[in-house]
Amino acid sequence: MSILKVDNLSKDYGKIKALQNISFHVPEGSIYGILGPNGSGKTTLLGIIMDVLKSSGGSYQLFDENPADSHRKRIGTLLETPNFYHYLSAVQNLKITAAIKNRPVEDIDRVLDVVNLTQRKHSKFSTYSLGMKQRLAIANALLGDPEVLVLDEPTNGLDPVGIAEIRMLIQQLAQQGKTIIMASHMLDEVEKVCTHVAILKYGHLITHGDVNEILSNDDIVEVASIDVAKLKNALINFPGNPQVQIKENVVHLNFPAGTANLEEVNRFCFERGIVLSQLQLKKKSLESKFLELTN
Amino acid sequence: MLDLLKIEWLKIKNYRVFLFMILFFLIGIFAANYIVYSLFQNVVNKSEAAVLLNKFNPYEFKYVWQSVSYTSGFLLMLPAMLLIILVTNEFAFRTNRQNIIDGWSRSQFINVKIVLALIFALCSTIVVVLAGFVFAFRTKTEISFDGFSHVGYFFIKAFSYNLFAVLLSVMIRRTGFAIGVLFIYLGAENILAQIMDGWSMIIKRDHHLDFGSMGDYLPLSASDGLLAFPDNPLKSFAKSALPTDYTWLVMLLSVGYLVLFYFMSRRIILKKDL
Repeated sequence: MSILKVDNLSKDYGKIKALQNISFHVPEGSIYGILGPNGSGKTTLLGIIMDVLKSSGGSYQLFDENPADSHRKRIGTLLETPNFYHYLSAVQNLKITAAIKNRPVEDIDRVLDVVNLTQRKHSKFSTYSLGMKQRLAIANALLGDPEVLVLDEPTNGLDPVGIAEIRMLIQQLAQQGKTIIMASHMLDEVEKVCTHVAILKYGHLITHGDVNEILSNDDIVEVASIDVAKLKNALINFPGNPQVQIKENVVHLNFPAGTANLEEVNRFCFERGIVLSQLQLKKKSLESKFLELTN
Repeated sequence: MLDLLKIEWLKIKNYRVFLFMILFFLIGIFAANYIVYSLFQNVVNKSEAAVLLNKFNPYEFKYVWQSVSYTSGFLLMLPAMLLIILVTNEFAFRTNRQNIIDGWSRSQFINVKIVLALIFALCSTIVVVLAGFVFAFRTKTEISFDGFSHVGYFFIKAFSYNLFAVLLSVMIRRTGFAIGVLFIYLGAENILAQIMDGWSMIIKRDHHLDFGSMGDYLPLSASDGLLAFPDNPLKSFAKSALPTDYTWLVMLLSVGYLVLFYFMSRRIILKKDL
């Protein structure tokens, strides 16, 4: 079953095209990352699926059915910002959510405990720090133990400990078989927790699929010798024709993930009379991969 | 709908502004009527002119429903303002989005606000009826429901103000701005209504065409126009110069505007991005 199927979805704000013909689907039990820089259309996409924004074209399905209000009651959602009544406490706010979703109020204490807000549960929302507001929004999404979670930038505003806790929480939830759709501009976040990823840029879907295929880290071998130009010319003929670049007097060889063999590189150079002064294997940084994908 | 209202109650029962405004409205109704009541009791009816005019107390049971409805009508700004605060709060806190995200339909979101406007109008009307009894009993006159239709007019006026408040709120979304627009609009419509009433008199005088008081045909003046203070016996001879009050027409228009406010508010919530 597809939890979410998006078909040719578009959204215009006047002349600005926030989303253009987006199509993908989220399989049941996956942790689906929607990755993209700020303003790429992640929140717009989730807003349409949650019926707070109207699409300009295309369609989507939830649970293999045409979308209905009852579907949203089965999904725990945190969209963009924590939205609560400022003059009510955490408990009073969650009672409203519980009533809308037809979930038992007994679950409120549990979810507040999960996000470490138990001590402040009777304080007004307006007195909360940014991180606490974000925690409450996560608790709100968890309320009633929904089978699907939609989390838009879930670690926004959290401190490093909070970020780690939320990542662990997401992984725990995934182990319980829940489907999680997560929007993020943080690549390492997606890489660490997601099984699938869709990458958005300026409203276009650049690529989507299994996270290991899309975010696979190329191997980079850095080599240097006295005559860098000669070294480069020699390495151009290295078996497999890796991409060869000179950066700051160091030659970079790009290999597909897991295929670099340092011994062979060393032997290849030595046989051609080049003695290496540096030989090092590096993983391509995720950030550079992200920039490459989105530029 | 009962479930929706229970949720709405969860939102407002702990809201201080809500309790404060209700208290303010209750005190206001009794205070305003008391002022008018004591003005007649202690000033007008003790003046020398009163001897000539037959003593006239607008809070006798015969007139009370009309008097209390008219006088209390000026305080309907308060429930309208309260509704603007409650509805625009949803936009300010973005809980309008959250309610939908959590599983309400857009239609449920707007319908419960409309019903809230109706409940506020009903409660205001009940308060007015109570105030009517309180003051009429003090005049020691016989219980009567003459002119009780004015309580009905009061209800229509209350509902019109409240629905207009909901419409402004979903159009403007900002509390202060919406309240400001409400005041400015009321002022502007009032001036326009006066001008149109003037035209009605001129047309009647010059062309013998009686269109009624045309000012009463404007959106909020319609329900306003249904209410009037009971006529002092002296004033009635001046009435022949005024255009006829087509109560049925004004009533029909009031209800028409109510329907219009409802559908406009609904359309905005159903069609626009939240």
